[in-house]
Amino acid sequence: MAFKNHIEETHGEQHLRQKHLMLDPKPRGEMNAMVMEAMHTTTWKFWVVVALLSAVVLFGLFWSWGILIAEGMGVAGVNRPSYWGIFLVNTVFWIGISHAGTFISAILRVFKAEFRRPFTRAAELMTTFGLIQAGFSIFMHMGRVWRMYWLMPYPNQRLLWPNFHSPLTWDLLAITTYLLSSTMYLYLPLIPDLAMARDRTKGGWQKIFYRVLALGFRGTEGEWKHLRSAMNIFAWAIIPIMFSVHTIVSWDFAVATRPGWNSTIFGPYFIIGALHSGMGAVIMVLAVVRGTMKNMKYFIRPEHFEAIGKLMLIISMGWAYFFFNDFIVQWYGGDKWTQTLLHYHESGPLGYLWFFMLFVNIVIPWSVLWNKRWRSTPWIVFIVGLLINVGMWIERYIIIPISLTINRSPFTWKLYQPGIEIPLGIGTVALFILLYLAASKLIPLIPVWEVQEGQMAHSLKKYGRESVVTVSELE
Amino acid sequence: MKKKISRRDFLKLAGASAATGAALTGCGPSSRFVVREPYTQMPEYALIGESTFYATTCRECAAGCGLIVRTFQGRAIKVEGNKNNPVNLGKTCARGQATLQGLYNPDRVTDPLNQGRRKTLGTDGMNWDDAIKVVSDALANTDPAGIGFLLGMAPDHLFDLVSDLTAGIGAPAPVRYGALSAFEARATLVKAAENVLGQSGLPFFDLANAELTFSFGANFLETWLSPVAYTRGFSKMRKQGKRGYLVQFEPRMSQTGAKADEWIPVRPGTEGMVALALGKLIAESKKQTVPRAFVNVDVKAVAKESDVDEEKLHYLADLFADADRALAIPGGAALGQSNGLGTAEAVLALDALANNFGQPGGVFLSPAAPTEDNVHRPASLQEMAVFINKMNTGEIKTLLIHGVNPVFELPKSLGFEAALKNVPLVISFSTFPDETAILSDYIFPDHHGLESWGYQRVATGTSQSTLSGAQPVVSPFYNTQSTADVLLAASAIAGGKLASVLPFKDEVEYIQAQLIPLIENKDANFNAGEINSFSAYFQQFGGWWTNEAALLAPTQNTLNETLSVESPTYEGEGDFFLVPFVSPVLGEAGANKPSLQEVPDPTTTVMWNSWVEINPETAHEFGIKSGDIIKIVSNVGVIETSAYLYPAIRPDTIAIPFGQGHKAYGRYAAGRGVNPFDLLGLKFNAAGDIAFAGMKVQIIKTGKKFELARMESEIGVYGEGLGEE
Amino acid sequence: MKPIDLNIIGAKGAIAEEAEGKWGMAIDEDLCTGCQACVAACAMENNISFVGEEDAAYGRTMHWIRIERFWEGEYPDVRTTSFQPMLCQQCGHAPCEPVCPVFATVHSQADELNLQVYNRCVGTRYCGNNCPYQVRAFNWRDYERPEPLNNQLNPDVTVRQRGVMEKCTFCIQRIHQAEDTAKSEGRELQDGEFDPACAQACPADAIVFGRVDDPDSKVSQLSRQKRGVKHLEDLATLPRITYLKES
Repeated sequence: MAFKNHIEETHGEQHLRQKHLMLDPKPRGEMNAMVMEAMHTTTWKFWVVVALLSAVVLFGLFWSWGILIAEGMGVAGVNRPSYWGIFLVNTVFWIGISHAGTFISAILRVFKAEFRRPFTRAAELMTTFGLIQAGFSIFMHMGRVWRMYWLMPYPNQRLLWPNFHSPLTWDLLAITTYLLSSTMYLYLPLIPDLAMARDRTKGGWQKIFYRVLALGFRGTEGEWKHLRSAMNIFAWAIIPIMFSVHTIVSWDFAVATRPGWNSTIFGPYFIIGALHSGMGAVIMVLAVVRGTMKNMKYFIRPEHFEAIGKLMLIISMGWAYFFFNDFIVQWYGGDKWTQTLLHYHESGPLGYLWFFMLFVNIVIPWSVLWNKRWRSTPWIVFIVGLLINVGMWIERYIIIPISLTINRSPFTWKLYQPGIEIPLGIGTVALFILLYLAASKLIPLIPVWEVQEGQMAHSLKKYGRESVVTVSELE
Repeated sequence: MKKKISRRDFLKLAGASAATGAALTGCGPSSRFVVREPYTQMPEYALIGESTFYATTCRECAAGCGLIVRTFQGRAIKVEGNKNNPVNLGKTCARGQATLQGLYNPDRVTDPLNQGRRKTLGTDGMNWDDAIKVVSDALANTDPAGIGFLLGMAPDHLFDLVSDLTAGIGAPAPVRYGALSAFEARATLVKAAENVLGQSGLPFFDLANAELTFSFGANFLETWLSPVAYTRGFSKMRKQGKRGYLVQFEPRMSQTGAKADEWIPVRPGTEGMVALALGKLIAESKKQTVPRAFVNVDVKAVAKESDVDEEKLHYLADLFADADRALAIPGGAALGQSNGLGTAEAVLALDALANNFGQPGGVFLSPAAPTEDNVHRPASLQEMAVFINKMNTGEIKTLLIHGVNPVFELPKSLGFEAALKNVPLVISFSTFPDETAILSDYIFPDHHGLESWGYQRVATGTSQSTLSGAQPVVSPFYNTQSTADVLLAASAIAGGKLASVLPFKDEVEYIQAQLIPLIENKDANFNAGEINSFSAYFQQFGGWWTNEAALLAPTQNTLNETLSVESPTYEGEGDFFLVPFVSPVLGEAGANKPSLQEVPDPTTTVMWNSWVEINPETAHEFGIKSGDIIKIVSNVGVIETSAYLYPAIRPDTIAIPFGQGHKAYGRYAAGRGVNPFDLLGLKFNAAGDIAFAGMKVQIIKTGKKFELARMESEIGVYGEGLGEE
Repeated sequence: MKPIDLNIIGAKGAIAEEAEGKWGMAIDEDLCTGCQACVAACAMENNISFVGEEDAAYGRTMHWIRIERFWEGEYPDVRTTSFQPMLCQQCGHAPCEPVCPVFATVHSQADELNLQVYNRCVGTRYCGNNCPYQVRAFNWRDYERPEPLNNQLNPDVTVRQRGVMEKCTFCIQRIHQAEDTAKSEGRELQDGEFDPACAQACPADAIVFGRVDDPDSKVSQLSRQKRGVKHLEDLATLPRITYLKES
């Protein structure tokens, strides 16, 4: 076990170790203690934030939702022709956010990208928590939410089934599948860490909590073997689910007769958009975790921001490609309603949103993320990530309420002005953060075993005067 | 041929007519004393789960359309047109459809009230015995000359009853009035008919068979005279072999103008001059000698004054000259001018020139009403001014008001509200807590029209001589009483002369007495030997009408008399002509019906409010945007309302709908919109009608904004915000 | 009925069967005066709520039928386009139907109408989005109908709750009543025996209702006229309403 190199290291080698977590190993016990300490160190600021967020969730989300249910959709801003408003914007947005989690975790795991190791958990949590917000958003939007179970296929005496022609039914099935599988996929790699936490917890309800959730994991070879194959299966299986989910969400729009929606490119366009916002969200979470939690500067380093920054840049380019592809094909199609709509996007009363979206989704990432120093700086990438998320939210706002303004019946065109959607949307954001805060106190946010495994596999070897990073295959 | 129908036969008849969709009634005369009973004791003809249909008459305006009301377990559910009634032949307008929201309006006057001229509807309920005593005392103790009756526009049984009453005791005859009659300039039309057609009365224009129609301000598709009948005529006119062509002359495009093939925006008040110029050109085009009526016209001057190109005049004249069956209709805002009577005569002279008097597609006189030969028309505003003067001088001691809301329906400058203060006793019989009722000493609410008996003479709209019949379709919902019954009871209590004038037990007996002369006329929609059967049929068919057309051909031709239309003079100062018009949806009394408030105006699609129409060019000049609140200042008043940039109005004209601006009249009407009557000065034309469309006003931007509720999209219809110029 | 070019949508076989239809309308725009009698009649027959000024301004009116008109030209040669009553076209190939997740908007095989099953609707409003004619009305609130206005409610038509979509039914209650009457009398239903509320009220007789599958019915004869067009025909929704344009 190569804890420390006995030979005096050169300045360059020391620099490499500082930079790369995988080359900067710590003893297992110490590392476990660091993670446990991060979990248990709670400042008063934390509780203030929790209290504030809880208040926002309580009033923004649940109280407003109660009003919405009691009064009807009239308290929201939806109207004819914008039958869908911010609720659906939020739904698509949160599903988009949830994508990056799986993308980072599963795809990077499958492709064995080593830099993923310290932040797979944070990303996976995002999938689950994001999907919860997406679910809330879509249920809020229903006129009679107390009948939401009618969307599920369940056996009943009248033989009433959901309509399998409807994209909303596809949506429900896809999102449910995604939520279940991503939760499983979050849980499996968590088991060894839960076991670690169990072993390092003295008593109290936490002990019970960890004992129950760790499923008696002891770390025997057989247990690891099963765990690894289960994780492998889920990692491979969840990738097509991820792609299908957002494709299906895009079909809500693409199969409709609306001008501007009826676009064949919407599937991949939505996926790349989802990744765009999701990566932005991941980088924001990491920046916050690194900045606020104890011992996290060791685990999350500029190299991670740098790597994710590169991905963001690539995704931004992909998004730009699909955006203009969609735009040009629709424009070239020459349908008069679509042309009116495209024109309305940029020159209507909210045309500035359209330009702002292009600015933050394309111009900003392209100009900032090229620079290695900038993309390694947490606060810079945090701002870029935030802007991208705002930009992507606006993109969905343009696709949904703004595009709904223009239809084939010009006598009915009406602007959409959001109402109670705003507190409800803020409520979902607060709940999302609150769930993260809760998770940071309950489960190890860093997959310790994965980091340790990586550190074991990595070493710095000297071939002549050259220091080379080597990785051995452990799995 | 005496035929008595038993109750059983009667039910059979009722069933048969239900199957054929004809009118039927469940109420024989014996069931006229309507009692409110729980519905566990249903009338025997009402079957659970089956609807019962009653024929009656629409009271939303004075046209007298026949209705069939579907009732279900004692509730009125739906209003449909009476297919047999010759006025509307089964059709209704929006106002007729919404009449049930008047019946079931949450803001009706529920009990007789000692209102005491409070600011809001009083709560001081009375019982009907005391109420009748109040009326009785008022009638008995007032000097007959001091009794004033103010009734609604419709020539109905109550008008006849009150006429008999007043004639019997030597009181002044009842005055009928309605805002619609002012906006139609009915008095002018009747007077013009007298001067030009040889007989006083409302002309009947056979739109259905006209090949070309020139309409000078007549908004016959909306509210003018008998809109449903004229819409039917319009429909036939379009459907006939050669599609009829309609040209509308008016400064502001009305709904009728919107349906016209050509809309000629003449300067307000110059319609008659245009008609005269056209007359001259038509004669020239026909290569006839120009009749004396038109010789004095200077076409160039008319073109200049009316703002219609000379070329256009020539084109229109050729059109008229070449048409086989040409028709010219005077009406509405064209007659509500200082020179309105001249205009009406000039337009009718065009008909004379087209030689269409008494011809298909031409001009007739409406048939004589079945029970009354004299033409009674509603009072003109000049006559109302005389009446108000009598109130002010204290000549009228007791004022009884029914079916009209003069505080709302008269120009403010006439000062009716102030004059009310000079009348010692004001009794209102209003069904609703309207502005006038609130300012009365007592409100003795009448039943709603759908709860009452009655008949109404049809003044115009059909070629047959028609008496529309009314009967209760539901039992009275509130503690109301028929005004006719109240008057009869009050007279009986008063005794003496009063009692002898009206020796009738109740309203229905009076109505039957009035129907008796009709039994003799066998050439009608039904025949019966005696009055009980006759009145049963009368209710069942929803009225009585002759089988044959009873139109009269005009007897006179004034083409050889010189006609002249003097230049219009305008009341007030300002840059803009003000053209008020009756809201086609609300009419004068629709504002308290919520569903009607939400029916969009046909041309602007505005709901629930008032607006002022301004040409977009003008608005641009003044920096006015859609929804900006504009102050409109006339020499007598000021109102503020939102601007609607209306593409089809003259740049020098603004238009405001009448129908909103109530201060009372229930929750859906009160405090909503403005009343253009607040702006009108008192200038009358030669027939005594007010020159309502001959005002000059000033507009001022207030800087406030209120977006109107519109059905249409400003983005989609006007390109607002689409980034296109 | 005007033949529909099924090749434009490349689905000749599948749609041809549905092209026929049962009930339909012919609306003569040359006759329609825009008087709104149909709008009021529809509201009265079908228990349609009024929403008040604020919601009406915000595009939340509940009318099942509306009159559309646009402007053409500049003053003084300005005129409105012909008034066009717009109501559910009862499409044979309705875009609203496949998108409903709970089959609340379904095609009736018996009547060939688009039904809206109020008590099945969960209020996703997808059908409203997908209707190219924008003729669906959503119950944004439980709109108040103060006593005693509720006395007027038509017992044949369900009163809708908040959160439920609704739309023109071609007065299906009247269709069924007339069919039942004809059946109990042992005869065929006659053309023109009954009308939906809008056609019944229409003072200009611009709306004609009847069987479009009966070539002799009045509506079929009118629909065959040269000036008949289907609204947004290029979407292949197979509307059952033919608009007769101003000639």
